Amino acid sequence: MEISRIAAMASKEWLEITRDRLFFSLAFIVPLMLMLIFRFGFSFDVRNIPLAVVDYDGTACSRDYAYRFISSRYFDFKGYAQGERQLGPLLAGGKVGVAIIIPANFQRDLAAGLPARVQALIDGTFPSRAQTIKGFVLAINGAASLQRMAENVSRTRGVSLSMARRQLQPVRLEVRYLFDQSVSDWSLIPRLIMVVLMVSPPLLTAVGIVREKESGAIYNIYSSTVSRGEFLLGKFSPYIAISFVNAMVLWAVAVGPFGAPFRGGLFFFIACSFVFAACTAGIGLVVSLLASTQVSAIVFCLILTFVPVSVYSGLLMPVASLDAAGRIQAHLIPAMYYTDIVIGIFLKGAGVGVLWGRLAALLVYASALMAAGYFLFRKRRAA
Amino acid sequence: MRNGPSRRRAALWLGRMRALIMKELLQIFRDRVILFSMLYMFTFNVFLLGRSVNMQLYHAAAAVRDEDGSSLSRELASRFRQPYFRLVRAREGHKGLGLLDSGKVMMVLDIPPKFEESVLAGRPARIQMRLDATYPLQALQAYNYGRVITGGFIPESGRGGVSPPEGPGALPAITSEERVLYNPNLNEGWFMSIAELLEAVTIFSIVLPAMAMVKEKERGTVEQLLVSPLSPFQVMFSKVAAVTAAVLGWTTICVFAVLKPFFHLPVRGSLALFFIVTAIYILACSGLGLFISTIAGNMAQAGLQSLLLVAPIIMVSGLWTPVDAMPHWLQVLTLFSPLRHYIDASYGIFLKGAGPGILWQPVLDMAAIGGSVSVFAVWRFRRQCA
Repeated sequence: MEISRIAAMASKEWLEITRDRLFFSLAFIVPLMLMLIFRFGFSFDVRNIPLAVVDYDGTACSRDYAYRFISSRYFDFKGYAQGERQLGPLLAGGKVGVAIIIPANFQRDLAAGLPARVQALIDGTFPSRAQTIKGFVLAINGAASLQRMAENVSRTRGVSLSMARRQLQPVRLEVRYLFDQSVSDWSLIPRLIMVVLMVSPPLLTAVGIVREKESGAIYNIYSSTVSRGEFLLGKFSPYIAISFVNAMVLWAVAVGPFGAPFRGGLFFFIACSFVFAACTAGIGLVVSLLASTQVSAIVFCLILTFVPVSVYSGLLMPVASLDAAGRIQAHLIPAMYYTDIVIGIFLKGAGVGVLWGRLAALLVYASALMAAGYFLFRKRRAA
Repeated sequence: MRNGPSRRRAALWLGRMRALIMKELLQIFRDRVILFSMLYMFTFNVFLLGRSVNMQLYHAAAAVRDEDGSSLSRELASRFRQPYFRLVRAREGHKGLGLLDSGKVMMVLDIPPKFEESVLAGRPARIQMRLDATYPLQALQAYNYGRVITGGFIPESGRGGVSPPEGPGALPAITSEERVLYNPNLNEGWFMSIAELLEAVTIFSIVLPAMAMVKEKERGTVEQLLVSPLSPFQVMFSKVAAVTAAVLGWTTICVFAVLKPFFHLPVRGSLALFFIVTAIYILACSGLGLFISTIAGNMAQAGLQSLLLVAPIIMVSGLWTPVDAMPHWLQVLTLFSPLRHYIDASYGIFLKGAGPGILWQPVLDMAAIGGSVSVFAVWRFRRQCA
């Protein structure tokens, strides 16, 4: 293996990349654009759920109750509906995500000290959203109910309102959100670095390498004195470099304009990101060796990286909540380890002590991809 | 053609169209990697992802640090139960932070000393929930359930004198009855399997036409097509038609071989309607693909450009996170994503039994997007050829 040949291969590849101006700029524009779009398009925050209310009672008391939902930042009040019949098309057309139905005699019953029963219709099309909505409805209703009962107890038994409340609800729950006080944005941004690195560099590398194969220019390599190791290293290194630069740019965007906290060590983050960049570019390398045309390389890449990333990377849900088969799949993809690393470094201030296992997994992954690339690449084609 | 449609010309035109479409179909089915990819995406992927995903709070690992150790504290802790929570035994004296740091649990419930004493004496008793907010959605759901659990926790022995003689019914309690429509058991598989089908349809309908066009351009075979008696429209439309046929075929396989038998997905609307809507959607996506092909000079560029189009469309059209939570400017932008309308239409047909009365709007939106993009693409292509 000779350094000069590797360098020659690398500089040839570099020229090829940079001379295609559009391709070269896309290599950096695509990650940035995706980061930007996902930053605003991906929100873990559940709010502005379109809400409709049917008030069969129409009294001060029922309006007061409805107002608890209307004023909540989780809901976006779309208006009162005349009756349940109106709700059908609204829910079916997705115009409304939840509808509260307050029965007639709501005020009368409560004033008489009798229990009342409201109904909430929830659109179950997106189950996790429906579960969250259900939680909000339960919580808001619970608060309203407690208020009514406490007023009643305080009036009938002559105790103070706060005393009545305490007796009705002896246990108070306090919550502390750890690591992400904003409960949404901070934990999203480091993950976006993972997503973007997972989808963009593999495709870049795959199309960059396979085009030599499709155009037939690869025969020059077959007939040259360059060994396969030299060829692969030289060919591959510009793509690792681009991916790594992209990782750093994304980091700068995350901690700069996007304002994510960065609590861990920068050097450790750089090391991990370099290994991850090698992994993602390595996926592209292996794809390029398996696929013979650029079309198939692109489709293959999307299936290997883009499709699993939303589910198996820990982007939307913890890997622990997947079923057994899903957990196995998640462990086979490098994204999951890098998610743990970025979350650990950005939000928890974790270092090598906690995350070495993940870094080791990424190293194994990167080496395995290189090895696969080495064995898949044949200078002499099988007859 | 310009002289007006006579019957012979029309027959000739159709014959050429058919020949071209056959050529495109052959090209799709002869590429083994594409064929395998379509098979995988429309069957195995839908099956695997539909089965394994759960975005709801489910079996969340929770540790309890019970410093009271009374029967009341144990009673409260035991209410944090399946299917939402899974109690993990915390070591004695463990502060619980290590467990949260390492991600072993997502929640630690702290019950302070003298908890039972306070409750029985009618003094305020506070317990604390420490949540790992790195999974915000799940953390929020955990908090919501925690609130409901503690809010309704009135121990039999600890009513502190407010226990009304007639039982709890005599208090003006408001109970809410939550009815989840369309998917009452919150079966995540119904949602995910459709989502993955839509994803597969989107990827292939954008990428394949774009690549097919760019390939002709890169190889120079497009010149051959242009000197033949074919109009630019015919050249482009034949590719779109072939992709539509192929994707529609795989969609049918997916519905009958995966969605129905494995997920028992109800089809509350009309399946025929679903296939018509899907065909319109594929046409709209192909228009986007063709548009890419007119701005890309080579396949490598086209690959990156399609990623730039496919990734936002799939990630930001409302499948994974709700459009309502996005900033307003982006909500407006999503209206230009055909997938957003296709999501409304297909979930509407499968789960809500939506008919033409509701579907006309998403279909019209998709058609408008697809139509205008295609016209623009053909126009650009024609100019480039001239």
